[in-house]
Amino acid sequence: MRRLRGPQAHTLAGAYALDAVTGADRARFERHLAGCQDCAGELRELREAAARLAAAVAADPPAHLVERAVTAASRTRQWPPDTERERGWRPVWPTRRGGGLRRGGGLRGGGRPRLATAPGGARRAVSRRAAVGGAAVFLAAAAASGAVAVSAEQHLGADQARVHAIAEVLNAPDAVMVTARVTGGGRATVVTSRRDRALVFTAAGLPAPPAGAGYQLWLMGPAGDRPAVVLPAPDHGMTGPVIATGVKAGDWVGLTITTAGRMSGHLAAQPILMLNLA
Amino acid sequence: MGISDARRRHGPGRAADGPAVGTDLEALICAVARGDQGAFEAVCAQAGRAVFGVVRAVVRDPAQVEEVCQEVLLEVWCAASRFEPGRGSALAWVTTIAHRRAVDRVRSEHRSAARQVRAASHHVDYDEVAEAVEIRLDCERVRRCLGSLTSVQRESVTLAYYGGYTLRQVAALLAVPEGTVKTRMRDGLIRLRDCLGGM
Repeated sequence: MRRLRGPQAHTLAGAYALDAVTGADRARFERHLAGCQDCAGELRELREAAARLAAAVAADPPAHLVERAVTAASRTRQWPPDTERERGWRPVWPTRRGGGLRRGGGLRGGGRPRLATAPGGARRAVSRRAAVGGAAVFLAAAAASGAVAVSAEQHLGADQARVHAIAEVLNAPDAVMVTARVTGGGRATVVTSRRDRALVFTAAGLPAPPAGAGYQLWLMGPAGDRPAVVLPAPDHGMTGPVIATGVKAGDWVGLTITTAGRMSGHLAAQPILMLNLA
Repeated sequence: MGISDARRRHGPGRAADGPAVGTDLEALICAVARGDQGAFEAVCAQAGRAVFGVVRAVVRDPAQVEEVCQEVLLEVWCAASRFEPGRGSALAWVTTIAHRRAVDRVRSEHRSAARQVRAASHHVDYDEVAEAVEIRLDCERVRRCLGSLTSVQRESVTLAYYGGYTLRQVAALLAVPEGTVKTRMRDGLIRLRDCLGGM
């Protein structure tokens, strides 16, 4: 598949309804879909047919499955309705001053007009504006800064594995890049691969944290708030790249200042960056 | 609300096949969107069979099947407010989530050594899928409609849907050009839709 324009893109509806379209082709088809009412209508019908294929293999799940799902649901915050302004799962966290963070707009990705939606839709929305090429540029920049120096002899195996893992994410066919301002100064760049369920984070111009403190990355979403990684000290104004794995659908990435100077397991401080990965 | 209360309120689950489920499931998902945990349990009971079936067909490994099913059901809970009744059936909404999560899982596993070894023996894989599909297709109507497709249409559709293969992989498995598979998938689904609608 080289080009997906006009009628050619249209014929992809079947493969798309079967989730058989991946990577850039998928993003292209979704872009086409956004402006093609007929395609959307056809896709709906083809999905109904696909749903019958699912129903045809229906089987009784283990008894505890539903019970566990109900328990998990009772502990999980639901996403708000998908409206123009409010899209996607939004994080809530304890705040001493009350009121939570209501300034999401100023903290989100680089002046992009809209946030992503639910996991399915979100990913599409992001891929539509995906800067996969940008990931390569980002990698080059990170490498040039010396942050991803792969001088093998100086690195232990774990470091090599880490560098390799970072390169994997950056080169993933579904890699999407988002950037955002950090409250207090600096700019963060995040490249996420859903395929790898991982993200690579880097920041430029982050102010030095208070003595004894450090920056910590969090994954926050329907699956809960999870401490991800403590950022290394900045080098030539560049922080990272670091990799965070275990990214789940609907996750946001948050950045906090941790006074402990080590990984904190409990999100107490208000994040200085919240970025929707969806 | 306790689980038994929920059962009483929303009744026992029914098979996730047949037209009766549709409207019921739709109303239930709308209730779930308002945070009704009892309705969520009923949704799980109704749509859980289809979710489990499709996830199992694609993912296979029982431990992972359960994990993915949990993810799917939790997404149904979280995203219920995003379901738009006018834009397709509730069952299609749920199974779309299920199928996507299932293929996401097998594709992220794709690079693991075991899977690469399996991928090296395409024919074995295809036979397995075909056999599994044959055995599990207990819905006579769908089976008959699948039977009315040309073999390339049927294989393209079933390899993608039940096998979780991408367009490119299906083309490789069937040794036909991607363009051909692409149109066969669409033609196959359209035919399937017409056949199921007409029965």
